[in-house]
Amino acid sequence: MVIIWRSALHHLVIKDLSAHYGTVQVLDSINLEIARGEVVGLMGPSGSGKSSILRVLTGLTPLSAGSVSLNGEVINYSSAESVRNMRERSAIVFQQYNLFQNMTALENVTIAPVKIRNRDPEEVEAEARALLSKVGLTDQISRYPDQLSGGQQQRVAIARALALKPEILLLDEITAALDPELVSDVLDTIRALASEGMTMIIVSHEMGFMREVSHRIAFMAQGNIIECGKAEQIFNSPREARTREFVSKILKH
Amino acid sequence: MLDYTFQYGQIWPYLPRLIDGAYLALEIAFLSFCGGLLIGTANASLLSFGPQWIAKPIQAFVVFFTNTPQLVQIYFLYFALPDAGILLSSYAAVLIGMTLNAGAYLTEIQRAGFSTRRQSEMEAAIVLGFSRWQQIRYVILPHIARVLFPPLSNHFIIMTLGTSMAAIFGVEELTGQALNINSITFRSLEIFSVVAALYIAITLLASLALGLLGSLLFRTKLRVI
Ligand SMILES: Nc1ncnc2c1ncn2[C@@H]1O[C@H](COP(=O)(O)OP(=O)(O)O)[C@@H](O)[C@H]1O
Ligand SMILES: [Mg+2]
Repeated sequence: MVIIWRSALHHLVIKDLSAHYGTVQVLDSINLEIARGEVVGLMGPSGSGKSSILRVLTGLTPLSAGSVSLNGEVINYSSAESVRNMRERSAIVFQQYNLFQNMTALENVTIAPVKIRNRDPEEVEAEARALLSKVGLTDQISRYPDQLSGGQQQRVAIARALALKPEILLLDEITAALDPELVSDVLDTIRALASEGMTMIIVSHEMGFMREVSHRIAFMAQGNIIECGKAEQIFNSPREARTREFVSKILKH
Repeated sequence: MLDYTFQYGQIWPYLPRLIDGAYLALEIAFLSFCGGLLIGTANASLLSFGPQWIAKPIQAFVVFFTNTPQLVQIYFLYFALPDAGILLSSYAAVLIGMTLNAGAYLTEIQRAGFSTRRQSEMEAAIVLGFSRWQQIRYVILPHIARVLFPPLSNHFIIMTLGTSMAAIFGVEELTGQALNINSITFRSLEIFSVVAALYIAITLLASLALGLLGSLLFRTKLRVI
């Protein structure tokens, strides 16, 4: 009973999760429990497997061992039904935005609710306009992605993810490709979501932001979570040598 | 050297026939392009999404029609098929020959376009919950159409000029009409300079129309010359 209660308490539970690309192991027995409304930051050198975790969660990359539970229920990644359930409850924002190039900003946001969820187009459009203005885009909604700056595209991508009303938001280095002056707009958006209680996994190298917005930070290297703890602890008194080295490198910048 | 005096006056009465010929040239190009587009789309779809065994026969078709002269292909249809009991009018032979030829080239052009679909957009569609068919309908096809519009337009222009070989089979398109009028008036320089101007006019017209269509449908840049 106790165990069921514990997993029901957690929004997302990643247990002994491994993944391979061919023969190369990219995730090595990852364990991570995320409570409802919790914001977990993922940090680590490039190639350490941060994106792979998010890709496995959404079913874009197959897992080779372990399990993921959502709201206490194990996701069966070989069942279309189960994967659909996960994708309906979560949304991912990619580093490279991945907007649909043949659609305007507004259409990018409305297409999934209208065509996939079969919702009323007018109602969806009103919501989409509200979402786009929430991320600071009101005048650009009829533009196509190639007519928007990187920061604007990234915010359209966030609005598109939010349009499906996810419970869990997965953000993969969403400010890495942005010019510095655009970063703060995007971070403001994420900050607001965090304060509204959205469960999030955020991959980012923005130390100040991660410290402020993350409840916990997991440090990764070579497909492992090396250590996981409160932001203050990871940044100020890391237990592991590799974490210390990484943090000091980033702080020097 | 150039002591020739141009006498356009003699050929003006024939201008309506030349314009009829220009119209027929556009018609042949349009019909065979549409036929070729159907063949090319079917082939490229089969190559990208169809079973493995289908690739070989399609490749053979493409290699044959892109490596033999168009003229020879039409000769074959026009002169060799009657021996097999299939009689084609010269118009039909030209139309079928150009359609098959276009089908081969448009297979190649479209196959290249199909391979440009971007994995990243597909992944975005997948995680948003698009079914396979919805991915094709909303992401793959619009993208392919946009990528392919310029090269397909160019091929249409090339085909418009290619219709002149129909004259050899007695089809009275622009060049055919010119040959006829030439044998009546013998004002070759005048006739063929007017014919050249008409070819330029119809290709410009077609480019302009396609350019406008492209900028309306796909926001491609309007560039005629
Ligand atoms: N599609 C792929 N095929 C093969 N190897 C990959 C692929 N994607 C990522 N990798 C490898 O997996 C490892 C982890 O990558 P990734 O999860 O993207 O790391 P991170 O996001 O932390 O930079 C890297 O060594 C990378 O080279
Ligand atoms: Mg990454």
